[in-house]
Parts: sequence; C-alpha cells; structure tokens
Amino acid sequence: MVSSLFQGLKKELFQTFDELKPQIDIKNLSIYYYSFNQGINSFKDYVLKLGFVKPFAKKKILSNINLEVYSGEVLGIVGKNGEGKSSLLKCVSGILKSYEGEISVKGRIAPMLAIGAGIEMELTGMENIKLISSLMGTKKGADKLQEIIEFSELTEEELVRQVKTYSTGMISRLSFSIAISEVPDILLIDEVLAVGDAGFQQKCIERISEIKEEGCTILFVSHGAADVERICSRAICIDQGTIKMDGDVDEVLEYYHSLF
Amino acid sequence: MTGYLSVARNIVIKELKLKYKQSLLGFLWSMITPLVFLAIFNFVFSTAFMDIENYSLYVLTGLIFWQFFANATNQTIQSFIRNSNIIKTINIPIFLYPVSSILTEIVGLVISLVPFWVLMYFFGLEFSWHFVLLIPSIALFSMFSYGLSVFLGVLNVYLRDVSILWNTLNPALFYLTPIAYDDSIIPANYLIYLKLNPLYHFFRIFRDILYDNQVPDVRSCVIIISITIIVWGLGKFTFSRLEKGIISNI
Repeated sequence: MVSSLFQGLKKELFQTFDELKPQIDIKNLSIYYYSFNQGINSFKDYVLKLGFVKPFAKKKILSNINLEVYSGEVLGIVGKNGEGKSSLLKCVSGILKSYEGEISVKGRIAPMLAIGAGIEMELTGMENIKLISSLMGTKKGADKLQEIIEFSELTEEELVRQVKTYSTGMISRLSFSIAISEVPDILLIDEVLAVGDAGFQQKCIERISEIKEEGCTILFVSHGAADVERICSRAICIDQGTIKMDGDVDEVLEYYHSLF
Repeated sequence: MTGYLSVARNIVIKELKLKYKQSLLGFLWSMITPLVFLAIFNFVFSTAFMDIENYSLYVLTGLIFWQFFANATNQTIQSFIRNSNIIKTINIPIFLYPVSSILTEIVGLVISLVPFWVLMYFFGLEFSWHFVLLIPSIALFSMFSYGLSVFLGVLNVYLRDVSILWNTLNPALFYLTPIAYDDSIIPANYLIYLKLNPLYHFFRIFRDILYDNQVPDVRSCVIIISITIIVWGLGKFTFSRLEKGIISNI
C-alpha cells in the first residue's frame, strides 16, 4: 500500500521533471567540416597506407555550443553568412553527424533546410509531394494531400507539370507546403521564406504562428529582422563560431546589427 | 527496418520514373543496347568464333548480365552525388541511396529478362529446372556489384575522376571477360590472368545455367561466394571509414 503510493508519487514527480527538461538539449557541441585533402600525393599516400592515414582535414565550424530550448519556444538564430547557423540546424535534425558533444532531441522533427529541399526537378509537382512526404516520414492520405495542394496555391495544371518549369517562388511554395502539412514537435526553418511573393510570405508566417500556437518548438534561422521579431520568443546570435548572445529578441537583434 | 524498406522503395520508384522520363522508347532502351551489341557481334565475330555452337545464344546470355553490371555500377557510383540535394536536407541513412540504385537496376534486369527469355527460346534455349539457380546467382552478382560500386562511389565523392576512370575502363573490362568469345581461344598460360577478373567467374556461372544447361560445380560456387563476400566487405569498410565526410563533400 505504502510502496504503491510511493511509486505513484515517484512517477508523477518524474513526469514533472520530464516536462521541465528541455526539448532540445545541446551540451559542449563542436561541429566540424571534413574537407578532403585533395591531391595526387594525399590520395597515393592514402592508398599506399591502406587507409590507415587520415584523409580528411578537420575544420571547426562551431565550438562549445551550449543551448537549451524548451517545448513551445520559438528560437530565432541570427548571424553573418557562413557562421554555422545552417550546420547547427543540420546537426539538430540528425543529417550532419560530424560533431563532438551531446545533442538530445525529443520528438519528431520537420526540417526545412533549403529552398526546394529534396525536390526532384524532372518529376511533376504532384509526384514530388508524394515522394518527399514519404521520405520525410509524414502520413499520407487523400485529405492530407488536398491540404498540401490547397496551401501551396498551385493550380492543377501546374501540379502535373515538371518542377523544372516552375519559378523559384513556386518551388519554395511547394516545398514549404509539404514540410509543414503535419504539425511536428520541432520545426527547423532555415532562411526559406525569402523567395515567395509577399502574399505567400504572409501566409507562411501565419502558418508558422499557428504551428507555434499548437505548442511546437521552432528554430528559425533568418536575416529578416522583422520576421524574427514577429514570431520568435527568444533569439541567439552566432558569431565567430560561438553563441555570442542569448536572450531577449530585441537585444539580440540590436547586437546583431552592431556587428556590421 | 520496415521504415528503411519503404524509403528505399520510394527512391526506387523515383529513379525508375526519372530514368525513363521524357524518353521516346523509355524502358525499351535497356533491351535495345544489348540487342545492338548482339547484332554487331553476330555480324563481326560469328565467323571468327565459328567453333562456338549457337553463337547468338552464347553472346546474348553474356550481354544481358553485362548490361546489368555496366548500368548498376555506373548508376550506383553516382548515387551519392546525384542525390546530394536530398542527402543534405532530409535525414535518411546515406547507405540507402546506393542500395536503392542497385535495386532499381535489379528491377530493370528482371523486367528485361521477360522479352530476352522469348528471344533466347527463339535461339534454341531449352527449359530446365536449373534456371532457378539464376535467382541466387543474380543475388550474389548484385551484392558484388553493390560492394564494388559503393567502394568506387565513396571514393568518387572525394575524387570525381573515379567515375570517369571507371567509364573509361568499362570497355576494357568487357573484353577481358569472355562475353563475345569463349575462353577456350585463350592460350593456357594466359588463362590464369583472365581468371583474376572476378567477372569471369560470374559469367561462367550464368553460362553454365543458361547456355550449357548444367548445374555449376561446387568450386565455381565457392569462388563467386568468396569474391562477393570480399568485395562487399571492401565496400562496407570503405563506406564506414569515409562516411562522415560524404555530406561535407557532395
């Protein structure tokens, strides 16, 4: 009797702790880029030594990143080009595996890491919708499909055309619609809103806000200060390979602008 | 595991679609190429190799599998680079791309076997239960091609010359394998070099089953199984050592 009560209490306590744990927990993360030592000599060495020599040059992109993101937070990530913002998102999504440190992530991730991510130019819009949603592991179904089509604002005639005939804006509309058709636990957005027309951008921001309302955690990389201000609840600024500032959106944006 | 299978299936469907999109003859191409070769060899070599009985069937039984090997290696070597766009944006284990490439080619081979079967009957092939042995043979040949292609494909990520080199060496390899000729015309002291070519043993097996209508002997089976294990292991080893750099270099 007493022990079962104790067990129940313990379980409840742990559940509370679980909720308090961050959804994304990054400790001491360093991300590397492996560039190949290209050249006849290194390749010859590599072959001669039967692969027991390091063929790569390790280049550090980010070092010593500590970041905790809690469920429901919308984190804006700003920084100059080439400072590793995208690599950070790739690590969180599990695509990039060349890192040291710890990353623990809870929940299903929907990555939107590039304009037209995974879109096959030779296939039609419709075929792409089916292909990519299956690769991303989202559920399919007639109504889901209809939802994607409606959100993308592409006409039926456009959907049966090969994607290579699309404009950049149309491609980004297609890819955005596929990625956010199902509300994930974590949404990663990397600078993909910049190309759609004003109307579609507006719609995307609205959809992101909707997703945010449903309690989804969002990491949002953008150079658009207005967008960051509008949807983010917290921001970080990455510079010279580390997080230089973490906290209030306005302060971080101010710091970011002072870098130039 | 089932998740991987469905992903692989979707990539295979995509690759099949891409392959034949916007082509007039589409799927027929995987038959036309061997047929053209067949016609050429019949025309050029059939008098030169008069001692080969039923030369058309002899060449065809080799060409079908050569076509598979050439396509499979070519496609699989390029698979990382061809899919770089997806690899960089969607989290799927990278090894599924070469696996899908090789599966695509197996599908192509199996479909093309249907009309080729008709043609082989036309050339005088007699039905036999030995044909069942084609299934494990094709499976082993595919694993061998996969291992070789992954080995070359991973290197190709870092040194793009590898695929060019492979395409250049392809015809040489073709003539180093007894496809258009019979190995009996090779002097005995050179035959040993011919046997260093792994493809020699695979084609020996395919010929045993389809042309000589006999069960391959145990020795040949052991040889191709060992070759497959070694080459597959080589591919796997290379992949595991160089995998981490792939995404940074495509």
